[in-house]
Amino acid sequence: MTAPLGLVVATERTPNTPHQFQFWTAIDSPVGIGTIVRVDGRQPVEGHIPQVYGVVTEGFSYTDLASPLFDVLGHDGDPGQSAFAPTERAEVRLYIAAVLRHVPEEPLQPVPMGEVFLATEADVAIALRMDSYLREDANTGIPIGLYRSGGMDSAIYLDAEFLVGPEAAHLNITGVSGLATKTSAVEWLLASLFAHFPVSKGSVAAVCFNVKGPDLCFLDLPAELEAEDRAMYETLDVPCEPFRNVRYFAPFKADNVSLNTLRSNEELLANVQPLTWGLREVLQFAEVLLNRDDVDAKADALIDFIKERVLDRDFEDRVLKEPHRVRSFADLEAWFRDLLSGLEDRGDEHWRTHHVATIRKVRNRLTNISTRCAGLVTNDGHTSDLPWGDFADRAVYVVDVALAEEDAQDLIFARIVSKLREHLERRDLGVTHVVVFVDELNKYAPADGPETYVRKMLLDIAERGRYLGLVLFSAQQFRSQVHRRVVGNAGTALYGRMDGDELATPGYAVLSAATRTKLATLSKGQLMVRHPHFTQPIFISFPRPAVMRGRDGMERYPQAKDVPLDVGVLRQLRRFDPSLTLAWVQDVIGLYEDDDVLRALHATLAHAPDNAGAYFRAQFRKIVGASVAPAPARTPLRALPDDDPYAI
Amino acid sequence: MDGVRSADGTTGVRAIAADPEAPPGASGTLRSVHAAQRHLLRTIPNVRAATGGGLPLERQQRDMELPHVIDAAGAEDATLRARAVPGAPVPAFRAFLDGTQRSEVVGWCGSLPLVYGSAGAVVRERLDRRLTTWERPLVQHRIYAPLAYAPRAELEAALSGMLEDTTKPSADGTIVPPHPTLLLERATLAVSRNRELLEIALAERWCASREEPIMIDGGIGASEVVAQSACAVGVVKSHRTLYAEGDALSIVLALRRGERSSVIRIAPRGRSEVLSWYLRLRDTSGHDALWGLVRAEMCVTVQPRVTERADEISRWLLAESSPLAAPDPRWDRMAYGIRSAEEFLRATNN
Repeated sequence: MTAPLGLVVATERTPNTPHQFQFWTAIDSPVGIGTIVRVDGRQPVEGHIPQVYGVVTEGFSYTDLASPLFDVLGHDGDPGQSAFAPTERAEVRLYIAAVLRHVPEEPLQPVPMGEVFLATEADVAIALRMDSYLREDANTGIPIGLYRSGGMDSAIYLDAEFLVGPEAAHLNITGVSGLATKTSAVEWLLASLFAHFPVSKGSVAAVCFNVKGPDLCFLDLPAELEAEDRAMYETLDVPCEPFRNVRYFAPFKADNVSLNTLRSNEELLANVQPLTWGLREVLQFAEVLLNRDDVDAKADALIDFIKERVLDRDFEDRVLKEPHRVRSFADLEAWFRDLLSGLEDRGDEHWRTHHVATIRKVRNRLTNISTRCAGLVTNDGHTSDLPWGDFADRAVYVVDVALAEEDAQDLIFARIVSKLREHLERRDLGVTHVVVFVDELNKYAPADGPETYVRKMLLDIAERGRYLGLVLFSAQQFRSQVHRRVVGNAGTALYGRMDGDELATPGYAVLSAATRTKLATLSKGQLMVRHPHFTQPIFISFPRPAVMRGRDGMERYPQAKDVPLDVGVLRQLRRFDPSLTLAWVQDVIGLYEDDDVLRALHATLAHAPDNAGAYFRAQFRKIVGASVAPAPARTPLRALPDDDPYAI
Repeated sequence: MDGVRSADGTTGVRAIAADPEAPPGASGTLRSVHAAQRHLLRTIPNVRAATGGGLPLERQQRDMELPHVIDAAGAEDATLRARAVPGAPVPAFRAFLDGTQRSEVVGWCGSLPLVYGSAGAVVRERLDRRLTTWERPLVQHRIYAPLAYAPRAELEAALSGMLEDTTKPSADGTIVPPHPTLLLERATLAVSRNRELLEIALAERWCASREEPIMIDGGIGASEVVAQSACAVGVVKSHRTLYAEGDALSIVLALRRGERSSVIRIAPRGRSEVLSWYLRLRDTSGHDALWGLVRAEMCVTVQPRVTERADEISRWLLAESSPLAAPDPRWDRMAYGIRSAEEFLRATNN
């Protein structure tokens, strides 16, 4: 049996309670803030020796000095004399621990006086109630990291039922920027989730919104890990490898041919797909982009009319000069132009109860969207989208919006999450669970500020997503600045190194001063974990993700420079047919306007045909090439008779 | 009694006689004041529980001994003089021995007090500058009762070996009258005597088994074995008896920090002869003449190296002036190791 580490103590002034106790240890004991300990009671209760598990939340150290002045006097005011004191003062290490669990659970009594032991691996499992979900017949544990203490490593598991649902769900991670902790933790946890998510619970995929930098741009490329990290992967039984199935989606730049992503290096384009939407897709989420103060109920009514009666229908009206079928922004603009022209010709101010001013305003706002979201919204109506209905198990879909305009980011987020929700409700997404990762949550779901469509969506996921299998993994620098209902609904919370100002906010008042201090000094790869099964926060270490860091990726695969249209087209088509050449592209598009080329390119990308070259070429209307007209045969002039009398 | 009282009424050691080793420990019935009180009330009829608030008798009583001076014979110089201790202080004590006692009235049998007495002694050994307990501390719990007047049979039946009579007849066969205050004083003296026996037992054990120097709180003459041991050094902090008269007294009281008096030879009644000298541990500026003054005792067997030995031990004692034994009010004279022993007993002996 191991020797006790300490002894529980209590006084009348500082008694132990059912939820907290104090104990002292030898000065050289390995106890620290966050250490898990076990108390063995001395007196049996109802036939059982009570055992109490706790985690150290506060520590004190003091000597028998009544006043510092006595120490000054004892050294004659010279600190240098301390080394000559023949005896070291009696010193105590006193710790306060928060109770994690009582065994047996009832009767719930104050922590008894008893010996304190460093928790063993088995103790850690009991203390954190992991024994309830690490059973052989029903193991739903997802490794989150290692709890380290006294030279012992214990694997810490989250319960998939409480991470992905349905009991609880969602995960939120907070911490200062610059340590790569937040993104790294999510990458690691996704790898762990993919490795350990029980098959019996269904399938799972991840949709990651890359909102800044290149952090998520190289998830399919390996990292160079140190031996310690590899050992952690082995201990936690997670494959030390990058994600096997990753697909990237990014809108175009304004030129509509270069992808607006940091992962634009030609070597990596094989799994990068444009994200482009047409009028229909955008109009469904028009309110994301339209200012509520600007678009009133009357404008709303006209937009609804367009969505229901005009879009994708053959539309005729006596005011219009010709029938219209609106499929794209270009069609919509033509429709508006015809309508307003007709009204002007007739001198009417109303059309189907809509005032001409409202029509002009809606025209202005809607057609403006294609400008504001250039690269994402196509004028020609072609779409290139996530594989709705065909999501693969254990696949990661990265939507790179880092370089997109803010409006486009909002639109992308709103539409993708809505589509995920729709498909999960209908059970036809292809997987049963989707983890949505959103960074910078304080931007998308701020605690204060106006109510936005995106924030409403995040609230909806946080509060109802777990029933659908829609799980939110979110991250931010300042948790206190995120809407309380979003972070409050996150069953699991991770904390990296925290900023002192943030720790001073009321949300952290439940943590002891020592725990807050530890949070403020956490190093890379360390986290504090709160999970429904853990009655107190636990500190863990996790390995570096086995994927290439964004900074390394950018050095090895620098972003492609902007290129002329023909090069851009070639780059996109080569994803399907690497044998295509620039000369071939120049030959095909040489006669056509840029819009025609882009339309053909988008159509090809949208349909992803086997023979991309042929499909691309087929998109162009026939134009007979100009050729040099043959010179008419010249009839040689007849020679004049020598004897022509009229000749000059 | 010439013990020095600490803040809570426990008393420093003053060994007076070597007796057989006292029985260690106590049964569960006397483990604490309240346990003893419950036991008495349960087993002895007509006993009233004392509700005095738990104030120790040691704190209530005044010292009976009046301060006085005694002339002592010189063992180093013909005339007592001040000597500067040469050399730098050197820590050499391996261990520190001290004892504590506590007496409290737990019940009354009519007007007769029943006193709960607890005594203990411990040696704190210094290892790597840290103090730990050497072997096992000795602890004794007793009920002290005037059996000449109290129901002897019931008390003996209830307490058997844990009972002590405070009305034992003197040599001439007289028995103290049943004056309650007198009976309380007798009880306190009996507790003090038991505490001294525990201290002596530990000191003799150390001297028999170890050679490293041990600092004993109080004199060392109470035990012949200890008084003749070269490793035992007694340190007396109270000075109700000053072994200097006339000019010698002036010299003692005028000692400056780091100075000692000439070695003298003392042999109080009933004690073994020892060599002794006064040593000033701290500067007296702003304090009375006894501030930082201790009297050291060592065995007489070291002659003729008296001066060298006294200087050496004085250097050891000066080294123990840090760290301070604060917050004990006697910190100017008390070594930290002695305080550690007292604190240990206070923590473990109720």
